[in-house]
Amino acid sequence: MSYLRAVMAANDHSPRVLALTAEIIDMNPAHYTVWGYRFRTLMSLDTAGQLGTDAVAWTWSRELDWVQSIARNHEKNYQIWHHRQLIVDHLADSTGERARTEEMFALDSKNYHVWTYRQWLVRRFALFDEEELALTTKMLGEDIRNNSAWNHRFFVVFGALPDGQKPAEEVVEREIEFAKKAIQLTPQNPSPWSYIKAVLRKGNVGLATLQSFCEQFSPVSSPDDIKSSHALDVLSEIYDEAGDAAKAEKALELLASKFDPVRKNYWRYRRRQLGSNSPVVSATA
Amino acid sequence: MSSHRRPIGSKAKFKRKVVFPKNRSGGMATPENNPARDGDGDGEQEQEQAQEQQAYWSAAEQVPAMHLKLPLLIDGHVTETSRKQLGVAQMIMKEVSQTPLPLLERATHVDFLLGPLHNGLSSRYTGLDASRPWIFYWCINALTLLGEDVGRYNERAISSLKPLQHKDGGFGGGNGQSQHMAAVYAVVLTLAITAHHAARDLPEAERMDVYARSFSWINRARLLQWIRRTKLPNGGFKVNEGGEEDVRAGYCALVTLALLGYDEDELKGDPAQGEKPLLDGVLEYFKRCQTWEGGIAAKENSEAHGGYAFCVLAGLCLLGEPREMLSKYLDLDRFISWLSARQYAPEGGFSGRTNKLVDGCYSTWVGGCWALVEAAANGIESAGSPVKMHVGSMWSRKALIRYILTCCQGPRGGLRDKPGIYPDFYHSNYVLIGLSAAQHYYYYDDDEDDDEYGGASSAAEGARSPFRHAFRWKASRNVPKPSDPRDGRAGGWEEGLVPSEEDRVGMQHPLFNIPLGAEAQLESWWRLFKGAQ
Repeated sequence: MSYLRAVMAANDHSPRVLALTAEIIDMNPAHYTVWGYRFRTLMSLDTAGQLGTDAVAWTWSRELDWVQSIARNHEKNYQIWHHRQLIVDHLADSTGERARTEEMFALDSKNYHVWTYRQWLVRRFALFDEEELALTTKMLGEDIRNNSAWNHRFFVVFGALPDGQKPAEEVVEREIEFAKKAIQLTPQNPSPWSYIKAVLRKGNVGLATLQSFCEQFSPVSSPDDIKSSHALDVLSEIYDEAGDAAKAEKALELLASKFDPVRKNYWRYRRRQLGSNSPVVSATA
Repeated sequence: MSSHRRPIGSKAKFKRKVVFPKNRSGGMATPENNPARDGDGDGEQEQEQAQEQQAYWSAAEQVPAMHLKLPLLIDGHVTETSRKQLGVAQMIMKEVSQTPLPLLERATHVDFLLGPLHNGLSSRYTGLDASRPWIFYWCINALTLLGEDVGRYNERAISSLKPLQHKDGGFGGGNGQSQHMAAVYAVVLTLAITAHHAARDLPEAERMDVYARSFSWINRARLLQWIRRTKLPNGGFKVNEGGEEDVRAGYCALVTLALLGYDEDELKGDPAQGEKPLLDGVLEYFKRCQTWEGGIAAKENSEAHGGYAFCVLAGLCLLGEPREMLSKYLDLDRFISWLSARQYAPEGGFSGRTNKLVDGCYSTWVGGCWALVEAAANGIESAGSPVKMHVGSMWSRKALIRYILTCCQGPRGGLRDKPGIYPDFYHSNYVLIGLSAAQHYYYYDDDEDDDEYGGASSAAEGARSPFRHAFRWKASRNVPKPSDPRDGRAGGWEEGLVPSEEDRVGMQHPLFNIPLGAEAQLESWWRLFKGAQ
């Protein structure tokens, strides 16, 4: 380390820096200073036309492979994925990057850094395409509760829309159906419930259109047949909007006392807000 | 105390105000001024709650039912997520249903946290390590929560942190390392805490000497220039030049600027050199990080996450009054719904994301959001009745306390994510801050003409600080129950949160995560320091 400090002080960007930084990163991949210096060294060698020559056998492609091998052993790390992002941005080429992130998803399907990198990749290279949507369908097929995959799906479907532009009706329809199928399979899964509400909002479709769908899971009048606390939550909003305070109250009380007791204070707070045209906490979207 | 100041629940007709025991520096409330005894709320609800409280803390068979069984509704379709969740819920259920509730093992935690301070950060943690200031901050702050005096570490903190200052401004995570926003943040917090303790029992003049030794060597001008270089065109910040962008960097930058006393003049920059006001666009940037779920992500389009949610909520409240900021820059109803869904039963603790497992560190990241949300929802006045209402706790403080005491205490000291995982310094600090959030009521004091609290919140001399609102937070040892003067609901206090005083931890500043009062002392020092220049 003290050797590297001397190297950095001399602003030395010669090939030996690659070996030196690799050794330190191998011991501590959170060492952001070393990552930064390594990237600047690579850039300097690239500018001098030295990468991939006899003098420097190293190439960007080997660098990306090496980074991947570090990533496999250190899943919770900010620096690795940022380094990768800098390189791929510099190369302006996303070839192989989807496969590399998917290899990481096989190790941890909810890895925050990898998903964030994937979102950057999609945005940077405008990959809002069928392949990207298919990835989320596949991953949700493997685990319908993978909220990271739901998040990515929302991004892929709606992320390319300019601000304020409404999505196509058939897209909204398709996503509502997708979420409904997931709910049928797992009515107590919070992800598709949040998703369907967000899709409705995005498509400017009223929540009330979900009333009979929700009632099939959670008939307020027959508590023993209730299968989903999330359906109760949505129903309380629908009933409140419709002015049926008694039913809304019933739904919230069932949540507070029976189906979601750890959140009792929240459900009671919601009950106190019922019927108020100006909610205590006003929402500005 | 003037006559209109009465505890909540008393029958004042007009300006009914909530009054809390004076505890600005974390002093103990005496039985005489403990307003928890004063509630005269509506009978039935009161009685029901009293019984619940009884049930919560006493005999074996009275552990709340939610901790004793799996949720009523579990889907049959099994996936990796549900398998993990079920396994953890079953494992935790055995721990969380313990009775009597274990005490906070103060002494063993203190030993654990003293380790790195006594073993010498200077030798073992140099070289490869890139998080020295973090380890300092986590241990020092956690020790104050446990009631330890950390003033004796002030000189050590100064001498260990000084070499981390970079010649171009800012601090690195170790000697000879380049700057990092998180390192800068941790350095500032550590010094704010150790100086506060070192100075607190001294006469005024000597107090200022301590602050001069602790802070005057920081090159504020260069630090500001360095922070400028991390600013992004989208309004946010990077963790360093060439580093990644996320709301954590934004939060750490704001905390640093607030605690190092930068004012509007300093932050507006020099247009002649092409500089723009440093805080331009940061609020809108935070706003864009709210996701379709209602929660908040590390950056636009990422997944909603408790850690980043805290960074944004605290970031917003650093720059304004909570109600205004949170309702202007967030869809607050949807945020609250997402935040509330982070608390699980039977576990009692918080998860950081939808369909993920509980983890003790979210006691701070999620638990810390609640104080800010409640402050935003509280105190709404209507023209007809100029009195304040309180929404009360919107979460289960007791369930979190139960999770912390039964699941997060390592058998040989230190606090942890969950049973079966080793304790560490990070979790020790953030589990304890979460415990403090559950035990105390943190609120924003919006009484402009209240000079009783003077100092920090009175109009600053000279240029205004954009962070002045951050210095108006107070704490109470008692937590108000919901009240609504419009319908005569009286409120009163939540009882039984701290059944044994031995379990009580210190009070923290809800935005800075340092002992409450440390921020005010530091602010006075900067005023003096800048006045003298």
